[in-house]
Amino acid sequence: MKRPSSHVLLSVLSLLTVASVSAEDLNFDRDVRPILKSRCIGCHGPDTQEANIRLDNLATDLVNNRPAAENWHEVLNVLDAAEMPPEDEEQLTTEERRILTTWVRGAVDHYIESNRSTNGRVVQRRLNRLEYQNTMTDLLGLKMDYARDLPPDPPSEDGFQNDGRALRMSGLQLEYYLDTARRALDRIIIPGEAPQQYDYTFDKCNVKGWRGNVERSNRLQRGQVFLGTMVKDYPEKGEFRIRVTFTAELRENKGFPILELCVGYRPDTQILFRTVDTVEITTEEEQTLEFRGFLENYPLPVRGQGKFPGLVVRVRNIYDDGTPRPKANKGKFPDEPEIPVINVKTVQFEAPVFEEWPAPLHRRILFASELQQSDERAYVRDVMKRFMRRAWRRAVTDKEAKRYVDFYASIRKEFPTFEEAMTETLAMVLISPDFLYLVEPSGDEKRQVTDWELASRLAYFLWSTMPDDILLQRAEEGVLHKPEVLATEVERLLADKRSNRFIDQFTSQWLHLDVVDRVAVSKDHYGEFKEELRRDMVGQTQAFFGELLRTNTSAMTLLNSDFLMLNERTAAHYGYENVYGRSFRPVSVREGDLRGGLLTEASVLLANSNGTDSHAVRRAVWIRDRLLNDPPAPPPPDVPSLEEAKPEFQKLTIREQLEVHREREACASCHRNIDPWGIALENFDAVGLWRDEVRGRKKGKSFETKPVMASDTLPNGTELSGVNGLRDYLVTQKHRQFSRALVTRLLTYAVGRRLELSDQREIDDLTEKAEQNEYRLGDMVRAIVQSPVFQTK
Amino acid sequence: MADKSWHLDRRSFLMGAGSVSLALPWMECMADTPAAAPSPKRMCAMYWGFGVGLPPENNENANWRWFPNGEGRDFQFTDTLSPLECFRNDVTVMGGLSHPNGRRMGGHDTGDTFLTGAFLNNQYLENTVSVDQVAAAALSKHTRFSSLVLSTDGGVGEPTRSSTLSYNDKGRPIPALNQPQQIFDRFFGSGDADLIARRRRLKSASGMLDRVLEDSRSLSRRLGREDQQKFDEYLAAVRQIEQRVERTQQWLEIPRPELRDEERDILHLESDDKAPLLFMRTMYDLIYLAFRTDSTRVATYQITNMADASSLSGKFPQLEGFKGNLHGLAHGWNKPEGAVKLGQWDQFMAEQFSYFLGRLQSAQEEHGTVLDNSVILYGSSNSTTHNNNNYPLVLAGGRNLGLQHGRYLKFDNKVPMSNMFVTMLNAVGVENPKFADSTGEMTELKQA
Repeated sequence: MKRPSSHVLLSVLSLLTVASVSAEDLNFDRDVRPILKSRCIGCHGPDTQEANIRLDNLATDLVNNRPAAENWHEVLNVLDAAEMPPEDEEQLTTEERRILTTWVRGAVDHYIESNRSTNGRVVQRRLNRLEYQNTMTDLLGLKMDYARDLPPDPPSEDGFQNDGRALRMSGLQLEYYLDTARRALDRIIIPGEAPQQYDYTFDKCNVKGWRGNVERSNRLQRGQVFLGTMVKDYPEKGEFRIRVTFTAELRENKGFPILELCVGYRPDTQILFRTVDTVEITTEEEQTLEFRGFLENYPLPVRGQGKFPGLVVRVRNIYDDGTPRPKANKGKFPDEPEIPVINVKTVQFEAPVFEEWPAPLHRRILFASELQQSDERAYVRDVMKRFMRRAWRRAVTDKEAKRYVDFYASIRKEFPTFEEAMTETLAMVLISPDFLYLVEPSGDEKRQVTDWELASRLAYFLWSTMPDDILLQRAEEGVLHKPEVLATEVERLLADKRSNRFIDQFTSQWLHLDVVDRVAVSKDHYGEFKEELRRDMVGQTQAFFGELLRTNTSAMTLLNSDFLMLNERTAAHYGYENVYGRSFRPVSVREGDLRGGLLTEASVLLANSNGTDSHAVRRAVWIRDRLLNDPPAPPPPDVPSLEEAKPEFQKLTIREQLEVHREREACASCHRNIDPWGIALENFDAVGLWRDEVRGRKKGKSFETKPVMASDTLPNGTELSGVNGLRDYLVTQKHRQFSRALVTRLLTYAVGRRLELSDQREIDDLTEKAEQNEYRLGDMVRAIVQSPVFQTK
Repeated sequence: MADKSWHLDRRSFLMGAGSVSLALPWMECMADTPAAAPSPKRMCAMYWGFGVGLPPENNENANWRWFPNGEGRDFQFTDTLSPLECFRNDVTVMGGLSHPNGRRMGGHDTGDTFLTGAFLNNQYLENTVSVDQVAAAALSKHTRFSSLVLSTDGGVGEPTRSSTLSYNDKGRPIPALNQPQQIFDRFFGSGDADLIARRRRLKSASGMLDRVLEDSRSLSRRLGREDQQKFDEYLAAVRQIEQRVERTQQWLEIPRPELRDEERDILHLESDDKAPLLFMRTMYDLIYLAFRTDSTRVATYQITNMADASSLSGKFPQLEGFKGNLHGLAHGWNKPEGAVKLGQWDQFMAEQFSYFLGRLQSAQEEHGTVLDNSVILYGSSNSTTHNNNNYPLVLAGGRNLGLQHGRYLKFDNKVPMSNMFVTMLNAVGVENPKFADSTGEMTELKQA
C-alpha cells in the first residue's frame, strides 16, 4: 500500500485552511484560471494532453455536464493525493493549492447536489416488499407470503427502504408480481362445486416411528411434543382451522408457557414444518385457541412417497428458562418442576373450512348479483370497478374499467370457466403501475396532493399498507385534507394496532437495527449468548419508541430515560429480575444502573460492534449520523495503514490504539471528532453488557484484560466521560441538533424521499414547533402530517 | 457418456405441441446426429469482496500469499490456492490485472464494476453493461433462460455496494436470486402440471402486457420529469417480461430437464446465509445443473461483497469457525496472525471453487466435459483490502474453446482487464473486438 505521508500532510493542510475561504468567494477567471495556466496547462493544454486531460477548455459550469464534472473530480483527487504537479515540476504554493481545491470542490459539490435533486418532490414510489405484502393481504383478505419471491429492496443513501428513487423495477420483479397475483387469486377464486371437507380430532399422539430426541405426550414441557397425523385422507389446499383445547400449569417466578402450533410432515427435522403461530398462555383454566391458515403455505408430504407419509399437526411448549435441558432416559424426559406446562386435551383439524360456497373471500370480489346471469359484461364492469377502486386507491373512470372488461372479453373464450378468465383480468390490475406505485400524476409544477393521494400517503406512512375503507370514504367525500378531518383520521390510525408497523419500520430503518442480525457474536467471548435474543433486542428499541409515541412523551427521552422497556429475555440479559413473559413493559432503571436511552440499548451497541468487542468508531459514526444527522466524511480511497503489524500495538486497548491512530495527522483531522463519541460507550461490550475491564486475547480459558478507559475530549475541548458524560452533553448541548435530526428522519420516512435544500425551512419550522411543545413525540408525527411538505406533490 | 435422458425425438416433440403453432427455437436437444451438434459454449463469473491475503514474499507467512510462487508454467501454489492443485492444467492464475477505472475509485467501491469496467464513485453512479450480459445476448437463443444471476444478498443492493454482478445493456443492475429453492423451481421445477392451462395463461399474459404498456403510455404523458424517468424503468420491465413470456411460450412444449437422483440428493435447497458452506455449494451446484442441462449458458455469482455490516455475507467466516468477520479478516493481511487467518479463509473459498470445478469436470458431453466447454472467472476487485490494483484472478476451463492453462501469468498494469473479457467473449463465440476500455485481445491466454 502506498504511504505518501508527506503528501498527505500537505493535503491535510489544504483541507484545514479551506474553511477560511468559501467557493462562492472565488471567481474562476480571476482566481483559478491563472493558477491552472501557470501550473497545469503545460501538460494538460492545447499542445499536450497528458492522461487525456485537457484543462484549458474544460467547462466550468458543471450542471448537466457529467464528463466535465468527472474530469474536475479527477483533478480534485490528484490534488488531494498530492500527485500533481509531479514531483519534478514546480509545486503549487499552499495558497494556490487552497484556491484550486476550494473552487473545484465547490463546483463538484454543486454538480452533485443539482444532480441528486428531485426538485423537492417525491419520485413515484413503488410499494416496497413490506408494503406490498400488507397491501395484498388487506386487499384480498388472504394471508399468504406474497413477498416471498421478490428481490430485496435497496435502501436509500440515508438508509430508508421507502425512497421512491432507490426502489427499482426489473423484468424479474414484474414477473414475480404477476406470478404472485395469480397464486393468490387462485386460492380465492375457485370455480366449481364445493370441495370435500375433512375434520379430524386428536386426543393423543398418533405418530409412530418418531425420530429425534423428543417424547410424545399430552403434557408438554421442554422435551415433549404433541403430534396428530393424517396419513391418507387429507386436503392439499384451502383454508384450515385448528382448534387446540388445553389447560396450563403456571409456575411462580417463571415466564408463561408458550404454545407453538406447526403444520408440516417430516417429524425428524425442523425443515419440513412451518409455524402457524405461537401464543403465550397466561391462565391455567381450560381454553380453546383457534388458528387459521392456508395449506398451500405449508410443506405438504409427497403422495406415494413412503418415508414420511401424511400431514402432521404439531403442538409444543417452547418456553425455555435458559437452564440446561435435561437428558431423555429411554425416550422419556424427567419432570421439570420449575418449567410451566401445557396439557393438551384435544386438537381438532378442519379443512378446507367454509360456511358457505363460494367462500366469503371469493364473494368479496365476485359478489352475488343478478347481473351475473342477465348481463355478464355489466357484471364484469361492476366487479372490476369495485376491485380497481380499492386496488388503485382512487376513483376509477368508466373508461379505465372498460379497458379491463375488454380484456376479459378478449380472453374469455380461451378459458373454460368465467372464474378463470376473471382471475386473469384481476391479476392485470395488480401488475399495473397504479397498483404497484403511489402514482401522483402531475406536471413539472408543484401542487397540493388530492384527497385520494393524501389517503395513500397517510396509510403508507402510519400503517405501511393501503388506505382502509374509512380513509377511502373520506377521500371520496373530498374532506380528508381539512385539518380537523385529517387530525381525526391521524388519531384513528395511530390508535389502530397497524400503527405498530410505523413504529417498527421507522425505528428499524432510522437506527439501522437490521444490522443486529448481521453481526456474528463470538462464541469464545460470549458463550452464553442466545441467538433468539437478537429479536428481543430489536423489539426493545421498537417498544421504547412506541411507548414514547403512544404516551406522547418528549423525544429527548430517547437520549436518556429513567425506565427501560423490558421483557423476560432482555431483563435477564441486563440482569433485571421479576420480569416475565414476552411482552415489553416499562421498568424503572435500578439504583446505580447507568442504563437508559437509546445509547445503552443492546440492539444499538451490538449493531455497532464487531461481535467480539465494542467498535468505538462504528458507534461514534452511528451517533453522529443517525442521532445528529452530521455524518463524518467517509474515509478517503487510500487510507494510510496503521502500524498494526507491530506487536506493541496489538497489546493496546482500542482507546490507546485510536490514540496512536490520531498521532498521524492524516487520520487525526477527522478522527479527533469521531472517536470520543464512541469511546464514551466503552463500558458496554459487544452485546451491550456493562464491563469494567476490556477483554483482550484469550489465554487458556481466561482472557487478558485491561481496565476500561471511557473518556476522551472533543476538538471543542468538551470532555466526554463515560455514558453519563455523553448523555449529558447530548441532552444539554445537542438537543436542538438531535430534534432537528429526528424531524428530518421522520419527514424523510413520511414522504419517501431524500430531503433537500428547499425543505430546510419546513424542517426548521417543524423543529421549532417541536421545541415549543416540549418535543412531544406523538405531536411531532401529527405536525408532519399537517405540514405542506407532506401534502405537496 | 452423455446424459440423454431429456433428449427428444422430433415426433414426440411435435405430438406434444398439439395444434398450436409456435415459432420453434432451434434446439440442440433435437439434433439428429449428436456428433454434428457442437457442445454449448458457456461463460461464468464468481466474485468475492475485500481481496485476499498477500503477506510479503519473504515473510514467515508467505505460504499464505494468495498468488503462487514462480511464474509461467513453472509455478507453485501456496497453501492458499492448494485446493486448485488437482485442476492445475485447467486453470490460469492471472496477476497484475485490474480495471484502470477501478484504480480511481473508492477502495470498497469496485465490486459493481468487476464485470463492467465502468467508472463509478459516490457521485456518478451509472454503470455499463457487464461482460456476462454481452455473452448472454448472443447465447440466449439456445436456452430456456438467458442467464442465471446469483448472489448471497440477492436483489440489486445499492450503487457501489451492489448485490449483483450483472448489468444490462442500459447499465441497469439485474436483480440476483439468492434463495436456492426459488432458483431450483425457476429452472427445474415442473411448473403447472397442466400444459394447456399454462399455455392459456402465457397467452393471456402477453395480452395483459400489451394493454398495460398502452395504458402506461397515456399515464406517462401526465407525469412530471422525475416520475417519468422512474416510469421508464417500469416500461422497460414490461418489455423484458414480454420477451420472457415469448421465450417461455417457445419452450413450453419442451419438458424441463430431468435431474438424476444423485443430483437432487446433493442439493440443499433449504440452505441460506446462516450456513455458508452448504449455501455456497448449493449455489455452485445450481450453476452446475443449469449448465449441465443447458438451461442457460451464462451465470454470475457474487459470493461476498463489500457492503460489510449490511451484507449477509459479512459474518460468513465466523459462521464457519474463522475468527473474525469478512472485513475484519481482510484488514488483518499485514499482521502476523491476521495473515494466517485470512489465508485460511481464502483457502476455504478456494476449496469451494475447486468443488465447483470438480462438478463441471464430472459431467461428460459429446465433446469433452462441461468444464472444457465453459470459460470461468473467479476473482475479486481488491488485491488486499482497499487496494484496487492487481486483482486476484483465476481463469478456468474452456480448453475446448481455445484457452491454454497451467500457468501463472503476470501482466503489466498497462494491460486493462477488459482485454481478458474480449478474449473470454471470443472464446464463447462472441466476436466482439472491444469491451469497455479494452485495447485488444489477450493473446497469451490462447498460446501454449
